Amino acid sequence: MLTVPSVTPDAISELSAREMRRAVVRRWLFRFSVLIGWTAFIGVWYLFSRLVFNPQQLPEPHVVATESWTIITEQDVRTHMQASLLRVLAGFLLAAVVSCGLGWLIAYNAWWRTLLRTIVQFTVSTPIVALAILTLVVFGVSSLGPIITTAVVATPYIMMNVAQGLTGVDRRLIVMSESFGRTRSQIITGVLLPSSLISVLAGARLAFAVAWRMELLTEIFAASEGVGFQIRRSFESYDVRGMIAWTVLYIVVMLIFENLVFRQIERRLQGRTA
Amino acid sequence: MATVLIENLTKIYPPTITYPHRVQALGGVNMSVTGNVFVAVLGPSGSGKTTLLNIVAGVETPTSGSVRAVQDGVPAQVGYVFQEPRLLPWRTVLNNMLYVQDRKSDRSRREAEFYLTMVGLNEVAHLYPSQLSAGMQQRVGIARAFLVNPDILLMDEPFSHMDALTGRSLREYLQRVWLHTRKTALFVTHDVSEAVELADRIVMLRPGGVVFDDIPVNLPRPRHPDDPAVRAVEGEVLRRFDSMEAAVRFGAQAG
Ligand SMILES: Nc1ncnc2c1ncn2[C@@H]1O[C@H](COP(=O)(O)OP(=O)(O)OP(=O)(O)O)[C@@H](O)[C@H]1O
Ligand SMILES: [Mg+2]
Repeated sequence: MLTVPSVTPDAISELSAREMRRAVVRRWLFRFSVLIGWTAFIGVWYLFSRLVFNPQQLPEPHVVATESWTIITEQDVRTHMQASLLRVLAGFLLAAVVSCGLGWLIAYNAWWRTLLRTIVQFTVSTPIVALAILTLVVFGVSSLGPIITTAVVATPYIMMNVAQGLTGVDRRLIVMSESFGRTRSQIITGVLLPSSLISVLAGARLAFAVAWRMELLTEIFAASEGVGFQIRRSFESYDVRGMIAWTVLYIVVMLIFENLVFRQIERRLQGRTA
Repeated sequence: MATVLIENLTKIYPPTITYPHRVQALGGVNMSVTGNVFVAVLGPSGSGKTTLLNIVAGVETPTSGSVRAVQDGVPAQVGYVFQEPRLLPWRTVLNNMLYVQDRKSDRSRREAEFYLTMVGLNEVAHLYPSQLSAGMQQRVGIARAFLVNPDILLMDEPFSHMDALTGRSLREYLQRVWLHTRKTALFVTHDVSEAVELADRIVMLRPGGVVFDDIPVNLPRPRHPDDPAVRAVEGEVLRRFDSMEAAVRFGAQAG
């Protein structure tokens, strides 16, 4: 005889309680694995500075931490960090604005698509050190140089993703909008933007990561303030500790920035489209 | 009163890279629809039905000939139900409805809710399209078309992607909403029984986009697909299709 398993309300709440517990455990496991990752990283760092190099070549993590703290408390971190950050942002924003236009052209115009693709291949395969030196040659020591170079390096990433986002738009949704008498701007904000947002955001993230590395590099060659400039100064006075400490500080600030901005936007978007 | 006047309408798609031949989607269509009637355009796949609706909706341009869709002398507002739901995936059901409205007020919101209730979906107004079944999504599409208070309602095989049972209940919904508003309707389909169940008049197209018959359907409403009277008209329409097929085949042999 066939027995039908009966599902009681109790059984259901029991089940969901179990699922809830599992979810909590999973979350903690995840956090734990992040912790393990960091510990492993620092451990490897110790190993390298003790066994492979010597502490003069590669200072140990705690030495760098102390040095960072000294820099924060005794030097003008804010000025340099701000200078770098502002340049990254300026370059990034410039890239974003230019990319929207160029991405549009790539998506809708075959001639521009071919042209820009070629240029992208060219810029992407240019060594960034060469670009950094070129910046110094063209702009001299100034703020403008790093900003422009950062923008140049970041643009291909956003541009290609804008184009990809736009070509991925469902044409039928545009026809739908037109048949219901939506205006051009309504279609742009109502269909084009939201449907290309995820791809554009992915491009922006990548571009940001590239931008802040490029920025640091150009500063090393062609700036009179900023984190990159400080790294060069430390290098010139054989201060490895200072070099690494400044680098670490820069990385920390950028990670915080990335997490605050991009993660949050992404989380919002995912919640909306899930 | 709304009027759709189609005169000598021809649409020829130019060759493309993937298909290097010209395609005649419509070959000189003449028809006129006036007043609160429900007209079905019946034709096999590729007979230019979607093209016809797109031109009436103004989202496609004719190669030659003219289409006028007017309401009391001014261009008519159309409401379009597509072959697939075509909802914006990043908007909730309610916000999808509000997207096609010009003014955003409490009243427009209430209207949206009214039509959602009409198709039995008020409960899910806050959900996203991906959270609905295909049939529910298409119902949103129907409600959306009625929401703009259209002078002319265009429907492109709205139930062809549904299973038979869902299609049956959706036709019932459609009849109910249509009887409530009695908008001038152009309903495209390749399903004979659907056409007979819903339409006051059936315009038949054959491949190449040519009208070959125009049959009035004088049956009382609401209609039921199993009604013998409905069945009888169905048989008549099918017979005319067969004679068209024979004529086309005979013509092909003669040529
Ligand atoms: N954008 C286009 N470019 C080129 N050819 C097209 C285009 N749209 C439609 N066609 C061609 O025009 C003809 C009519 O197409 P249409 O979509 O209007 O037919 P239909 O009657 O709606 O068919 P179905 O019942 O399959 O939806 C077809 O041969 C099709 O290949
Ligand atoms: Mg079609």
